[in-house]
Amino acid sequence: MYSFVSYTEDDKMSDLICGHYPMLLVLSRFGIPLGFGEKTINKVCSDNNVHTGTFLTVVNLLLNPSKNISEERLRELSLNSLLDYLHNSHSYFLDYRLPAIRAKLLEAINYGNSDVSIVIMRYFDVYVAEVRKHMQYEEDTVFTYVKKLTEGKNTGGYGIAVFREQHNQVEARLTELKNIIIKYYPDGGENELNSVLFDIFSCERDLASHNDIENYLLVPAIMRIENKGS
Amino acid sequence: MSKHIRIAVADPSVIIREGLSVMLRSFTRIAVELVEIPDMEQLEFQLQVHKPDMLIVNPVFLGIFSLQTVKNGSGCRQLKCLAFNYSHSELPSAKGYDGAFSIYDSPEAIREKIMDLMEKTEPDNVKHDTLSTREKEIIICVVKGMTNKQIADYLCLSTYTVITHRRNIASKLQIHSSAGLTIYAIVNKLVELDDIKDGVTNLGEL
Repeated sequence: MYSFVSYTEDDKMSDLICGHYPMLLVLSRFGIPLGFGEKTINKVCSDNNVHTGTFLTVVNLLLNPSKNISEERLRELSLNSLLDYLHNSHSYFLDYRLPAIRAKLLEAINYGNSDVSIVIMRYFDVYVAEVRKHMQYEEDTVFTYVKKLTEGKNTGGYGIAVFREQHNQVEARLTELKNIIIKYYPDGGENELNSVLFDIFSCERDLASHNDIENYLLVPAIMRIENKGS
Repeated sequence: MSKHIRIAVADPSVIIREGLSVMLRSFTRIAVELVEIPDMEQLEFQLQVHKPDMLIVNPVFLGIFSLQTVKNGSGCRQLKCLAFNYSHSELPSAKGYDGAFSIYDSPEAIREKIMDLMEKTEPDNVKHDTLSTREKEIIICVVKGMTNKQIADYLCLSTYTVITHRRNIASKLQIHSSAGLTIYAIVNKLVELDDIKDGVTNLGEL
C-alpha cells in the first residue's frame, strides 16, 4: 500500500477508493456506505456524520505508513471517532474475518481428517483466542481509559505508556502459521489452499495496519493529552 | 526467510527520504519497514515512538544535537546509526556512528553495509537451516509438553543448553511457538498425534 499520495477533503471519495481498494475496509469501519457518486471526501463524511479530519488522517497513515503524523493532525483528531473506528475494526476481525478464514482453512485442509489438519486447526483456534484477548484488553482497559481521559474523569493511575510498552504484534502468530503451511504443508498447491493463503496474507497485512493506527495515531494522540494535563 | 528491520531515515529533504525509501525497500532478504523523520527537532520523540533498529542520518543535519544525547534521550541505546554523507569524499567516520555511506554509493554497497550492521547485532547467527539430531530430540520433547527443566533432565543437558538449542531451532525454522513446532513435528513425522494427546495443554501457551 506504499504510495506517495496524500488525500485532502476536496478529493473525490470514488478516486480514493478506486485508487486504493483496501480503503474499502476503512469506509465500512467508519460506517460509510457505498454509492457516493461524484461527492468529495468531505461531503461524504459529513453526510454520514463522520469526522472528516479523522477519516483523512487514518487513510493517509494507512497509505503512507512511514510518514509521521503532524502535531496539527493530532490536534484536529476526534478521539471518539477514532475509538469507534478501532472498535469496528476489532469486531471485523473477530466476528467476520477470522471466522471466515477458519471456515476456508478447514475446507482446504480436508476437514480435519488428518493429524496435520487437526494440529493446524488447533493452532488457528488458539491464535484466535489470543487475538480476542488482545483486543478485549484494548476495549476494556485502553479505550475505557481514553474515554475517561477525554471526559476529564479520574483515570485511576493508568497511562498510555503501559499500553505502548506491552502492545505486541497481533499478526505475528498468523505470519508463523502461514510460513509453516507454505514451507511444510505436504499437499497444497491446490486452489482452495492458495485462496486461504491469499486471505491470510491480506488479513496479516490488515492486522498490521490496524496495529499501526493504534501505535502511531492513538498512542501519540493520547500522549499529547497526557503531557498537556501534567 | 527475510529479516525484518525497522529503519528511520532522518533528513529534511523529501526527495532524499523517498529516494532512500525506494532503494531500501527493493532489497531482497531484508524486509525494511521505514520511518521518515523530516524534522530534526522531532528526532528524539520519533525514535521514542517508533523504536527503530537503525537510523540513517546526515551528521550535518544533526547539528547541535549530539548522537549520544539523541540515543539516550530516546531510550534506543542499541540503535545502530549510519552516517549519510552528501559529498563524494570519504569523511572520517563521525563520532558515535556505526558506519557511513555516501549519496553516490551503489545500492549493493549500501545493502552490504546494512547487512553487516545487522549481523553484528546477532553474533550467534545460525547459518545452516538443517536440524541436528539433538535439535530434533528437543522438538519432540517440546511438543510433548515438557518444560525446559524436564527436557534438560531427560537428555542429561543443562537447562541453559536446552534454551540455546531452542533458540537455534526457532531461528532455523522461523517457528517461535510450541504450537507451531507441533505442526512441524507432525508434518515431518517426528511424532504421532497420539504422542502429544497428553501434552495438548502446551498448545494453550502459543
